[in-house]
Amino acid sequence: MWLPTALLFAVAVSQIVLAMFANLSPWKGGGFGMFATTDGTAYRFIRLIVDAPGRSEELSVPAALDEAALRAQLFPADYFLRQLARAVADREQRQGRPVSSVRVEAWRIVYDGVPLRGTEQRLRTFTLHLSPPLEPPHE
Amino acid sequence: MHVPLALRLTALTLLLRPMGPWTVRPLILLCAGVALLSPRALLRPLTWYTLAALIALRIAADWPVPDNHIYLLAYWCLAAALALGAGNGVGSHDGERHDSRPHYERVIATSGRLLIGSAFLLAVLWKAALSTDYLDGRFFRVTWLTDDRFSDTVQLLGGLSQPQLDHNRDVLKALPEGAELLHPPALEEPRAFLRLVLVSTWGMLVVESLIAATFLLPLGPRLSVVRHPLLLAFCVVTYAIAPVAGFGWLLLTMGVALCRREQRALRATYVATWFLVLLYSEVPWASLAIGWLGGSSG
Repeated sequence: MWLPTALLFAVAVSQIVLAMFANLSPWKGGGFGMFATTDGTAYRFIRLIVDAPGRSEELSVPAALDEAALRAQLFPADYFLRQLARAVADREQRQGRPVSSVRVEAWRIVYDGVPLRGTEQRLRTFTLHLSPPLEPPHE
Repeated sequence: MHVPLALRLTALTLLLRPMGPWTVRPLILLCAGVALLSPRALLRPLTWYTLAALIALRIAADWPVPDNHIYLLAYWCLAAALALGAGNGVGSHDGERHDSRPHYERVIATSGRLLIGSAFLLAVLWKAALSTDYLDGRFFRVTWLTDDRFSDTVQLLGGLSQPQLDHNRDVLKALPEGAELLHPPALEEPRAFLRLVLVSTWGMLVVESLIAATFLLPLGPRLSVVRHPLLLAFCVVTYAIAPVAGFGWLLLTMGVALCRREQRALRATYVATWFLVLLYSEVPWASLAIGWLGGSSG
């Protein structure tokens, strides 16, 4: 009878710790922080910057990587940021574009001040260096 | 017969909102379908252990994306499995001295009560103590103005016109880190909108606090009757606006499990509200109301 409630609190305490100290969105993770803060999915976003010799470009998140980007924006831990960076690098290479590093930035929008306004605030940055740089496949 | 009803509603919820990756989704649908069609499967602990495990797998596979009610659904399925496995002996439980319900019905009712109370307690903790932008009204100011899902509602209840809403969205567009506008434009917030922000911020907090208290505190039989109207009122109001029918269905399903056998009218009210939430999720009532008001005033 108590086990489900004990599990609920165990998960919720972990969620609170992750939200307070590791940038997990309070809306997610089983801690029931939804509708309590603007720090949710709609007010977080990801920036992708790809570098290579002669190339430095910001990419929009491709539809195929929406899921990976969503995870990284909701919980910008190294694991999810690296996964996304790796997927971007693989995709660039498949499409024949050079890539030596992928930078993933997780951002949120903070609403504050009088008059009220939104300001972008960087949560975390992760750079994946590819060594040796991935070259486009040769025909 | 309220526990089988609650379990059927749980199965129906799972079927109405298929979830998870393809590796888990068909199995959840299959289990829920079998539970709905077979009275034997419905009351077998194995069915609910399996569903709890599959939903937990879904959470792990998609983490951290799943919403909070998916976690609650997993706990609820586990509670059902444990209760059904607890047997049918008769005895007293949960402070009910003359409760003649079978043991598993009392266990599942207590679990449901604790789960509802705990979920609301945590929701209150976040709003009142952990969040930095709830109590001053910023959360609802920003959400009402910028979330597309609430555009119709905020026009209907907040007295905002579409041009005002568009202006406010422009004002709230995020500036780059460190940037400042020389003459920052102000939001257009009519009195009705500010009232809506105030009522939604404090109304939500007060009702959620009351639900947490009445479901968790050991109230006597007289005081505990206020639990149900509070939960029903919360669901009727919240899920008319919030697009998370699955959460509403789950709370109402657990409410059904809390009803004693003789509380037929209460049980019927829960079921009617369950279907009301279904209607809310399928009928764009706020948009229809705006159209109707626009037509009747023009």
